[in-house]
Amino acid sequence: MDDDAYLILKNFFPNIDFTEEQERHFKSLWSLKTFNQYDFITEAGSTERFFYVVLEGVQAIYVLNEKGEKVVLGFSYTGSPSGVFDSFIQQEPSKAFLEALKPSNLLAISRSDYMSLFETYPDFYIWGHDFFQQILFGRLTREVEILTLSAEQRYVAFMQRCPDELKVIPQKYLASYLNMKPETFSRLRASVSY
Amino acid sequence: MASLILTPENQIQRLNLILNKVKNLQELDQSRLTSPPNAKSWCIVEVLEHLSIAYSHYHKKFNEVFPQLSNLQKEHNAFKARMWQKLVIEMQRPKGTQRKWKMKTMKRFEPLLDPKTLDKAKIEQVFQRFFELHGHFKESILESRGKDVATVKIPSAIGPIVQFYLPESFEFLLAHMERHMVQIDTIMEQQKTLVSS
Repeated sequence: MDDDAYLILKNFFPNIDFTEEQERHFKSLWSLKTFNQYDFITEAGSTERFFYVVLEGVQAIYVLNEKGEKVVLGFSYTGSPSGVFDSFIQQEPSKAFLEALKPSNLLAISRSDYMSLFETYPDFYIWGHDFFQQILFGRLTREVEILTLSAEQRYVAFMQRCPDELKVIPQKYLASYLNMKPETFSRLRASVSY
Repeated sequence: MASLILTPENQIQRLNLILNKVKNLQELDQSRLTSPPNAKSWCIVEVLEHLSIAYSHYHKKFNEVFPQLSNLQKEHNAFKARMWQKLVIEMQRPKGTQRKWKMKTMKRFEPLLDPKTLDKAKIEQVFQRFFELHGHFKESILESRGKDVATVKIPSAIGPIVQFYLPESFEFLLAHMERHMVQIDTIMEQQKTLVSS
């Protein structure tokens, strides 16, 4: 793992201090996975094997509705976590797909190694508390936005907070995430500033 | 009649469900795998062997057709099945737990196994062949996502009277597999009845 990659990884676990030996061990648990654009990282019906931290690229997590259309649940991007977490923890087949929307490099840790982090380094429990709190607050914010805001308000709120690398993925994924038709997204993009 | 829209994502998801189910079947006792519920029915291992025989035709055709397909320069689109092909696919597809349109298996698709002589090694061989062939099926669906699939047709296993584009052939195979998964559920139900009566 090069220094840049480790910096991204370390930023993801901000409050954890290692000795040199611990750091070597921690690094050794992660492997680099590379995906081409539109590769499936995880398929629905398969079991998630890894927890990821994204070094590069954008990924979408989505389920298929009854018509077979993709319903986007979220995105991951540089510096963020990725993977189908419920399948990873429960070791049950995933209901969702995780797809690389751009060529992607991800650092991956297996379930047994992920679990061992908590046992070996108790600081990870604090990290876990903060991490899941952050995830929960993020999902609550999204739920409120989906249920209470107009399409235009959802578009503005999302575009104001989303990183630039997410703005260049195919519009249909952003539209689905914001629960609107691609045509509506396209119209808002052309007419609304944020 | 409503359109039949085919996507590789939907097909992969359904294929994974079937593969998981067959993996679970591997855990069953030998007697459950090799006991037909009645003299006319197949046992579970024979059903799996039939699926492997049916796929063998497409295995060869897929290997022939992929080099002829050009690469897509953009994300693939959903594929709309054509009328006649849709009809053939829907005849295979089970309706819930019912297998409508009962049909006689053509001789060349019959599993040439004698359930009485099926031992552990032979059963293992049937599962292995099933997973190898259907691993190829999965790879084929995945590969098709980057190809222009609306250019080359392949004859179905039924004969050249039905010609499929790749997504149609995938759907036909999946509907056929789903039909036989229903058959396996029925066999297992009937086995339970036999044990309890």
